Amino acid sequence: MESSVPLAVGRAFARRVAPAQALAGDAPQIARACYEMAVRFHRGGKLIVFGNGGPATDAQHVVVEFVHPVIVGKRALPAISLTNDAATLTGIARAEGFDEVFAAQMCLLAAPEDIALGLSVDGRCANVRRGLTTARDLGLLTVGLLGGDGGDIARDALADHVVIARSDDPCIVKEVHVTIYHILWELVHVLFEQPGLLEPEVVR
Amino acid sequence: MLRAPQSRTEVGPVSAGVAGAIGALYPFLDTRPTDVDAVLAEVARSTAAKAAEIVALRESLVAEHGQRLVDCARRCAAAFRAGGTLYAFGNGGSSTDAQDVAQLFLHPPTAGRPVPAISLTHDVALITALSNDVGFEVVFARQVAAFGRAGDIAVGLSTSGGSKNVLHAFEEAARRGMLTIGLAGYDGGRMAECEFVDHLFVVPSASVHRVQEAQTTIYHVLWELTQQALTDEL
Repeated sequence: MESSVPLAVGRAFARRVAPAQALAGDAPQIARACYEMAVRFHRGGKLIVFGNGGPATDAQHVVVEFVHPVIVGKRALPAISLTNDAATLTGIARAEGFDEVFAAQMCLLAAPEDIALGLSVDGRCANVRRGLTTARDLGLLTVGLLGGDGGDIARDALADHVVIARSDDPCIVKEVHVTIYHILWELVHVLFEQPGLLEPEVVR
Repeated sequence: MLRAPQSRTEVGPVSAGVAGAIGALYPFLDTRPTDVDAVLAEVARSTAAKAAEIVALRESLVAEHGQRLVDCARRCAAAFRAGGTLYAFGNGGSSTDAQDVAQLFLHPPTAGRPVPAISLTHDVALITALSNDVGFEVVFARQVAAFGRAGDIAVGLSTSGGSKNVLHAFEEAARRGMLTIGLAGYDGGRMAECEFVDHLFVVPSASVHRVQEAQTTIYHVLWELTQQALTDEL
């Protein structure tokens, strides 16, 4: 229980402290992204999430958060992941190439009022890049959760909102991303419940 | 995954209306920019508070689970050396963690030795067949029965510790002589009382979200330590 913490464990946990703390510095930016997401949901938009490898599982996790809220009584908001239909993914990859797997689904499934959320641990995923640029062309609000130095997705400012987890370790980036998307979900609901903040439109 | 109440962000109502005749005629013509900024400032403060919360929670796990993580990693490494396969399972958000565990061990994103790992959560045909024909509580146990051999590893995640299908899978895994590893939140729930779990890692938080974030760290660190054990560095 006490003093004898194995060195390797102490080191592993210590590496996670600074990237998690750095998130506080991104708070205003996250709040602004949440506000714009809430406006999109209010207009009847849905959330479309995508990523590769570990972030593919995050995309599905984000969907669970929004569609099946953790707090009883919160309304379900529409969200879909572009990572879980293996038939569609492999079909598009074969016909158009792997770089197009998210962009092609975006063209087929997105509406202008929707939100696109792309995850990449280093900001260097060609298909996430294509997904975000296609979404932007279609009029969606675009959000990128990235890591490392943000890669070309951050450099080329391909999303309206970019939050970068400040670590080069994909595992640590993922851990920060999980906190970020939990906060995104929670704050969207907080803003959703503030009458007067969103446009006076009928909620569909 | 249990949908349980948890602490939530409290942001009080912010007055919005423009007073007087104009405001009455155009109720939406409010002081919106100011209001948005005020709410966003509160919301930003709550984000900073959550960042501090997860840092503190992770810190508390080091002393609690440090030696256990090392012990567990050494047993995992021994199992992989002997030809074992890891099977991961969970529900909802934890099902995505199970897939993340599997892909991390099977196809490490950084330098590392790939080892056989399979998630029992992504075959929709199997899961719907088992749910429809038998019941949802057997979806993982039946797969463990089909795939698992003595010396394999079962990793089950449940934020509440009470997911029946996860507990059933542990029982089946233990019966087959597998190494069983459980991740739970709160006080560990029924998983903490389960005799079939060899290594239990409980994240003591009442927030499902913070539990998930800390569980992610636990399985990442377990993977990292297992890699070290595989190369005799642990």
